[in-house]
Amino acid sequence: MESADEVIARAPLPTAKTLHQRKSLPLQFIRFISINLKMIRMIRKGHHPMEKH
Amino acid sequence: MKRVVILGAGIAGHTAALHAKRLIGKAAEITVISPNSKWNWIPSNIWVGVGKMQPEQVTFPLAPIYARKGITFHQGLAKNIHPEGDSEMSSPYVEISYTDPKRAGEIAKIPYDFLVNATGPKLNFAATDGLGPDGYTVSVCTSGHAVEAARELREIIAKLKTGIRQRLVIGVGHGTCTCEGAAFEYTFNVEHELHQAGVRELAEIYYLTNEYELGDFGVGGMVFSQRGFQTTSKLWTESLFRERNIHAILGAHVSQVEAGVIHYEQVDGTKSDLTFDFAMLLPPFRGVDLKAYNKMGADISEQLFAPSGFMKVDADYTAKAYEEWRAEDWPKTYRNPTYPNIFAVGIAFAPPHQISKPRKSPNGTVIAPSPPRTGMPSGIMGKLAILSIKELIRNGESTHLPTASMSDMGAACVASAGSGMRQGSAASMTMYPIVPDYQKYPNTGRSENDTFGEIGLSGHWIKLLLHYMFIYKAKARPGWSLIPE
Repeated sequence: MESADEVIARAPLPTAKTLHQRKSLPLQFIRFISINLKMIRMIRKGHHPMEKH
Repeated sequence: MKRVVILGAGIAGHTAALHAKRLIGKAAEITVISPNSKWNWIPSNIWVGVGKMQPEQVTFPLAPIYARKGITFHQGLAKNIHPEGDSEMSSPYVEISYTDPKRAGEIAKIPYDFLVNATGPKLNFAATDGLGPDGYTVSVCTSGHAVEAARELREIIAKLKTGIRQRLVIGVGHGTCTCEGAAFEYTFNVEHELHQAGVRELAEIYYLTNEYELGDFGVGGMVFSQRGFQTTSKLWTESLFRERNIHAILGAHVSQVEAGVIHYEQVDGTKSDLTFDFAMLLPPFRGVDLKAYNKMGADISEQLFAPSGFMKVDADYTAKAYEEWRAEDWPKTYRNPTYPNIFAVGIAFAPPHQISKPRKSPNGTVIAPSPPRTGMPSGIMGKLAILSIKELIRNGESTHLPTASMSDMGAACVASAGSGMRQGSAASMTMYPIVPDYQKYPNTGRSENDTFGEIGLSGHWIKLLLHYMFIYKAKARPGWSLIPE
């Protein structure tokens, strides 16, 4: 059986561009807004069952 | 006036208390019973555990909030529920023992018309010999535990700075633990701190978990859509482990901890030892030590509670094979079937089964992550119980109660991977529903549009925003009820 470390060793590494994007202030600000909007949609769905009665 | 008694003042209980005062405060007297004097935003204990926050930043005293809102507060531990009253008191009541230093040890009977059990978990360190603050490992389950974890971590960093190599093991301390997400967060925050301290290369970090695969998080993993392709939380998490050079031990049940060594067994039956210099292992949870008695004084705890100690609600508790689990098994109203004026919310309700596939080693050891039901779902359930009580007070039993099943409820989760306004990062995830519904979503069990994950600095900002927003809400500041659970 393959160990977890052997599986991890085959996992894809992020490229330099991806690592840069994860720290880029302008891009991350846009992502901050975008993710918040996604979460608001999720929260509305989460509360939906309570509100329909 | 009806009497609504809420046991516990965590996320579920405190949310229930504030909404109860807002929604039914004129028709009911609201009472909260909690052994703790302070409220704790537990998700930020991770940052206390690495020394980035002080305990005062994640806790605040409950009594002034309840005094301001007109909620009666007893700082005490609920010991027994008498849902039929007894020979002396005809009303149902809860017997409590005060933990308030001014009334320490005093016993009181608190009558109720409606009871909301939001007692949360008992941190069952005793399930594993040598686990926990009284043994050989630290924890971040409470702010006090996290302070001790931060102190030990500072000592480890000091040793690393003198050039002594150290092994740090972070994860869960039993095969049936939950909250793997918190262990994941602490692992990456510790890694981040070691990196910031310039000692990362001398430290070896292990993530020891009962999850069968990385990225399971006790919810059976997630499938995300990314740039036109499906990817899994497994691949995504493995990539992060490779990037940060963290070792993993999967499908593990910790059987014993001794000074500097963890004994564990894996799903394939292999038994191994792992030495450590620092270990943060979360405990398994069980229900708090609460008993129930009928009018005659006979112990009816088995009627109210599952063997795990959590309270039975409107779930389907029939023993079924994993393949037969259905979304409908999960509770919708959180009412106790025997005493419907009792609700159990948050961690206090007994789930019908796990979400992740349970496994057993050839030696018969159960290795099965328990279902997470903290945070957002806890808050929703707390509010739901109060909405139901409001309906029952107004319209009686004939009313149609609101529902909120975890199989029809989404969750947003932000797992910190390091703090800092410029250097921080976190994995932001949403999933819908929490409990997969393969009849509704045959491909992955969840909505592909509403299940996503992303790593980046923005995640840290979101986690920080949630920290301040939920503490603001819990302090019942102006407009608090507009902030969703």
